[in-house]
Amino acid sequence: MIELRNVTLKYGEKLILDKVSLTVRNNTIKAVLGPSGVGKSTIIKLMLGLIKPNSGQVLVDGVDITPMKEAELYPIRRKMGIVFQGNALFDSMTISQNFSFFLRENLRLPEEEIERRVMEQIRFAGLEGYEEQLPESLSGGMRKRVAIGRALIFNPGTILFDEPTAGLDPVSSKKILNLIADLRKNSNLGAVFVTHIIDDVFAIADETAVLYQGKIIFDDLTGKLHESDHPFICSILSDKILEL
Amino acid sequence: MPVTSPSNLKEQAELKLKDFLLTMQEFFFFAVRAFSTIPKIKRYWRDVLDQALICGVESIPIVLVSAISIGGLMAMEVGNLLEDFGAKTMLGRSTSNAVLRELGPLLMGLMLAARYGSRNGAELGAMQISEQIDALRAFGTDPIAKLVMPRLVAALLMFFPLVALSDFAGLQTAAFVAEHYHKIDPGIFWNSIYPKLAPKDFVVTFLKAPVFAVIITLVSSFNGFSARGGTAGVGRSTIKGIVASSGLVLVANFYVSKLVLDFMH
Repeated sequence: MIELRNVTLKYGEKLILDKVSLTVRNNTIKAVLGPSGVGKSTIIKLMLGLIKPNSGQVLVDGVDITPMKEAELYPIRRKMGIVFQGNALFDSMTISQNFSFFLRENLRLPEEEIERRVMEQIRFAGLEGYEEQLPESLSGGMRKRVAIGRALIFNPGTILFDEPTAGLDPVSSKKILNLIADLRKNSNLGAVFVTHIIDDVFAIADETAVLYQGKIIFDDLTGKLHESDHPFICSILSDKILEL
Repeated sequence: MPVTSPSNLKEQAELKLKDFLLTMQEFFFFAVRAFSTIPKIKRYWRDVLDQALICGVESIPIVLVSAISIGGLMAMEVGNLLEDFGAKTMLGRSTSNAVLRELGPLLMGLMLAARYGSRNGAELGAMQISEQIDALRAFGTDPIAKLVMPRLVAALLMFFPLVALSDFAGLQTAAFVAEHYHKIDPGIFWNSIYPKLAPKDFVVTFLKAPVFAVIITLVSSFNGFSARGGTAGVGRSTIKGIVASSGLVLVANFYVSKLVLDFMH
């Protein structure tokens, strides 16, 4: 379980998150919905301890990670996988090297085991035959699948997705959303995904938190979004895509 | 309030000073972390070799070009000057002092600030912008140990032979110009150098190698890690890295020479 408790974050004088509290339960898909530039990606980075809040706590499985040093955070981070918005694949490495890199870096596994796990992820991502290609030669949807496969490499309990369908065509978007839903169904994986596309939220999210002007204005079951009378939520439900 | 009002100017100056001090503090911690990860070298020895190839072997042509041109020019101009005083036989000594202690290492430093520093800044800046550095951290790899330490160690190792090569090529070119342009016998040229060579000449020149290696690698890498704002941000951080490391190389060149020559006088 991942929990943000009264988290406040400022960049210089600009208030990004104002006493935000949020809980992500195991084996649930939680969406964080909000307009661009509101601090959604920041929430994911806080959960991983990539940035530290000015005040408040971030708890992963009940352990407060905010006072932890970088080296102490590494085992915590391996409990989660992350798919960055731009995928953040290593562009000078082949697809199989992208998968194997962190296994070699962090786990003392025999070479056969590394190869087995890499092949498993290549099959999962449906990229057989592309093992020795560089990421730049793949389509946007394929790159996203590589990023998801890489996020699964340590068998995490939760995967964090930063705008998983941004920049993808509708068919690829649907495939990625189905993949996230399948991961939960078949592998009991929880997921947090931040997005500004409300259709994605209704497609797969069990629970949704809406972030607006640095505050969480809604945090409940996705189906209950329609019951909200908050003007911002009413406006996004009618416009579907947030471009505020 | 007008932009140029005194209080506004004071406020801006204070803000800039605060920013500068904060950046210096961040740089200091960045440098400490880079050095403190050197014990992990066994794990990243392949990266060290890759970087040694990039900053060492691949830099040989540019170092040779700069050393040959400055050695030749020095011999030609100083020879013309000495001819007026009838002291052409002193050409070897005058050229060797300038090339060996100052211009050889300095030009090498400036060339590597441009070549290696720009590569570091652009590569690490692009990795920062595309969140690859965040990805390293997110998956449990220390980006300083993986990306900066190998660059630092490679530069520390490779700058020594590059300085030696730069000095050697500069002096050989000077000897060639002395023989063919000023018609000075090579024996006279080299004999005016060897007896006067002192340990301080070598201390000055070889002490500059690690100093420049640290400056160029850490400044360019720090600027790469600090890149923000898309591709334009990568450009800005790369330029900042080159300008800052070149300036620091010039300053360090002066102070290393001064300190060593004062100390070993």
